[in-house]
Amino acid sequence: MTAALDTEQIRAALRKVVDPEVGANIVDLGLIYRIEFDGPAKLLIEMTMTSPACPMGEMIVDDAYAELDRVLPTDCQPEIRLVWEPPWAPAMMSEKCRLSLGWNEADNT
Amino acid sequence: MADLKPGGRLPLLFFGMLSLLGGVMAGLGRLGWDVPAPAMQAAGVHGPLMIAAFFGTVISLERAVAAGRNWSYLAPLAAGASGISLLAGAPLLLGQILGSLGALGLIAASAVALRRQVAVFTIVLTLAAGCWLVGNLLWLATGNVGAAVAWWLLFLVLTIAGERLELTRFLPTPRLAQKLFIGIVGVLMLGAVGGLDRIFSGGLIALAIWLLRYDIARRNIATEGLTRFIAACLLSGYAWLLAAGLLGLAGAFVPGHAWRDAALHAIGLGFVFAMVFGHAPIIFPAVTRIKIPYHPALYLPLTLLHLTLALRVFGSLDGNFALRQQAALLNGLVLVVFIATLVTLIRRNAQRGAR
Repeated sequence: MTAALDTEQIRAALRKVVDPEVGANIVDLGLIYRIEFDGPAKLLIEMTMTSPACPMGEMIVDDAYAELDRVLPTDCQPEIRLVWEPPWAPAMMSEKCRLSLGWNEADNT
Repeated sequence: MADLKPGGRLPLLFFGMLSLLGGVMAGLGRLGWDVPAPAMQAAGVHGPLMIAAFFGTVISLERAVAAGRNWSYLAPLAAGASGISLLAGAPLLLGQILGSLGALGLIAASAVALRRQVAVFTIVLTLAAGCWLVGNLLWLATGNVGAAVAWWLLFLVLTIAGERLELTRFLPTPRLAQKLFIGIVGVLMLGAVGGLDRIFSGGLIALAIWLLRYDIARRNIATEGLTRFIAACLLSGYAWLLAAGLLGLAGAFVPGHAWRDAALHAIGLGFVFAMVFGHAPIIFPAVTRIKIPYHPALYLPLTLLHLTLALRVFGSLDGNFALRQQAALLNGLVLVVFIATLVTLIRRNAQRGAR
């Protein structure tokens, strides 16, 4: 592996993880809070779930690991942390995602 | 704190499924079908088996997975054990106490979610768990299942409504809609506390209209695949919730009313099981880590559920007991078709993975 993967490539991989209830991916839904490389062999991702009462969290995290495994070099260890602060809010969704869900550019709550 | 591994959760789910099996058989025994002795002696506790034992197990299991704490799995264990106790013909008190412990566990696990995020939806989910407990305690205190019915219905209805409210946050939902939702929950609670069937029914109608109007399912029905299937399950379920409310307005929730069977099953089968059909393909894998790939064949049990329930409701409204009795058997068989569909999809997927 010559060039290290950048955060955009990580984002692209995570876009393959979809929440079937909404029909949108976890990146565009704004669930990924932080993508940080700590040296070449360590990747830290912080993400949240929209509901702390929904049992799907753990499975979505596993799906995200599976997608990371496809793109990361074998010596790079990803770690995904599930965080609840700050709580998810609709404003965290991508512009494209918001528009597709019927939000106007002016709406920001 | 440690979480229970998926391998340990599957037995809890099977435990709950025993209550489902026993509960359905008890219901059929009640309608005059010849069923095995354990189910026949439990004919009087069909409702507690279906709602407190089966749904109590399933809902507290999924909440335990969300909470991710070892102790939270004691709730589905207690709820499942209450079902076994009822089917085994143990003293009623044992089943009632185990069920109440399960409800307390669900309240505690819901409080974990509530502490992570204080929001209307987490409050409503905790309130729903409280309704399960109130129903159980009323049953324990009065010995009368009828005293618990409105509370147990609220346990299911508010659990679903709370989760649906959460999902409306993806859409530009007007603030007024959230206020309306809180008002509707208030009306339903008032109906249950005061034993006011018509108020309760009005709340169900208002909630059904709210869900038909604001739920993300209305948008998702235009998508495809699993997302669309879930939406179809939900929207068709809301129609049954509306029907139950209308029947209730006509007096159907009064004990002994000829339409009571129709109203209760419009909610229990039409609204709740349609939601179960839609969410099993995502919640079962989330709990057990066994994947269920989407297949359009899932529309078959959903369609059969609605058709056979329509027959049953028609039989009830028409005073045709034979039709109601036959349709109830078909309702039970639809659950078998649904489970068989899921098992087939799981096996096909496993075989594909093995090749």
